[in-house]
Amino acid sequence: MKNFEHFNARSIDEAATLLGRYGGNAAVIAGGTDLLGKMKDRILPAYPEALINIKTVPGLDAIAETDDGLSIGALATLAGISAHPVILEKYTALAQAAGRTASPQLRNMGTIAGNLCQDIRCWYYRAAQNRFSCLRKGGGRCYALKGDNRFHSIFGGSVKGGCVAVHPSDTAPALIALGGTVITSRRAVKASDFFKVSVNRTTVLEADEIVTAVHLPAPAPGTRSAFMKFALRQSIDFPIVNCAAAITCEGDAVTRARICLNAVSVVPRRAAAAEQLMAGRNIDETAADAAGAAAVADAEPLDGNAWMVPIARTLVKRTLLACGPDPAEDESS
Amino acid sequence: METKDITCPHCEKGFKSPDEMKAHMLADHRNDEVPPPEGHIRLTVNGKAYALDVQPNWTLYQLVHDHLGLTGAKQFCDRGACGSCTVIMDGKPVLSCMILAIECDGTTIETVEGVAAAGHPLIDAYVKHHAMQCGYCTPGFVTTSKALLDDNPRPTAHEVKIALSGNLCRCGTYPQHTIAVLEVSQKLTAS
Repeated sequence: MKNFEHFNARSIDEAATLLGRYGGNAAVIAGGTDLLGKMKDRILPAYPEALINIKTVPGLDAIAETDDGLSIGALATLAGISAHPVILEKYTALAQAAGRTASPQLRNMGTIAGNLCQDIRCWYYRAAQNRFSCLRKGGGRCYALKGDNRFHSIFGGSVKGGCVAVHPSDTAPALIALGGTVITSRRAVKASDFFKVSVNRTTVLEADEIVTAVHLPAPAPGTRSAFMKFALRQSIDFPIVNCAAAITCEGDAVTRARICLNAVSVVPRRAAAAEQLMAGRNIDETAADAAGAAAVADAEPLDGNAWMVPIARTLVKRTLLACGPDPAEDESS
Repeated sequence: METKDITCPHCEKGFKSPDEMKAHMLADHRNDEVPPPEGHIRLTVNGKAYALDVQPNWTLYQLVHDHLGLTGAKQFCDRGACGSCTVIMDGKPVLSCMILAIECDGTTIETVEGVAAAGHPLIDAYVKHHAMQCGYCTPGFVTTSKALLDDNPRPTAHEVKIALSGNLCRCGTYPQHTIAVLEVSQKLTAS
């Protein structure tokens, strides 16, 4: 790796000030598992002048129940989240998502904030030495549109309608399904509004803004949630499709459903049609199957990724059934 | 948010100008020990304490392997995708290629050399069950297994597989690892 300045921040204020001072040429490092790979491969035209370590900010890894839900500090590790008794019981989808991310070692290092703020995995974007100056780097075209797009978006593009790289996070759909909020150094943003694609950006964060925590509202009585992931390997792999659902039932009938797919579109995608379809129905094979079909009804696959559509459809169905009274076994991969 | 140009190295206070900072230092920290500069870290590796000056771009792997000469951990993918460089940091298996050495201040690191020097039965079990062919991935597997047994002395076969799922072996020796780890687990918990 080329050298850079390194700062151990002692507070979020200090880290934000330092970020501001470098005007976008510095990066925050927490787990570092995504950032260091990007720097080693030199995938971006600009190499960060400075890294600002926020692991030295005290108390940022706390997981605590609050009056109205649960607060998870930005530095809480994925391993910690996947094994936390309260998250396992009340926010099951998030525990399952954190537990299926990457590998055991990476889960000991990677943080929830880093998993939300991670960069895309498109192989043209990630090619070493900034080989493809694509739309996401401010270049002129998307190489995946005409090239190999077998793992790209089935719901259209971003950035001038071109870039079809998907968002790879496992925890993001769980957070959205659970109605979570991302707390930053400046504001609170609903998890569903947090992801926004532009050049060099996967989130709404400003250049000197830092995620400090994630907040989950207490689930309504009768709520069950689940997460499922389809990947080519069980471990050390990014999702081909993943899905999280949080379903609130009164008796057997669904009163509210929140379903979110990820890795199928440029940002995590709420399956609104499927959610409406589930309202008032029981969670059974027929309803779940119809919801799966509704979730992918408006899919527009590219040349090479039509195979992802039935996977997304089936994953919605299975995730819904996993939220039902007789949860199905996870056979998603 | 108030902008603070300079932060006191002793406490959290921020100041607008060097003069204000100087006055504060003289008033409040006249007799305090000078904090070490960035790049100076203290850490424990295999029970031995080190105080080292490191560059920001050194990974923990470079520190342990190239500078301390502990060549057990291996670099293969250098992107956090194979597990060959696994070391135990504060009791947890982590990938030393994806951690900056400068951020390891105050940590306790254990490498495969430490596991062997402590006479851990894993080493013999790996030899006995020949849980390797070329041997390149083996130090990563051994450190990961050691961390598992420290955390969970009686793992099930499934738990062993999950714990070792971050380590790749291109020779395909996976079944032997489970056999070796489960045997050591029985041995350690029986005594």
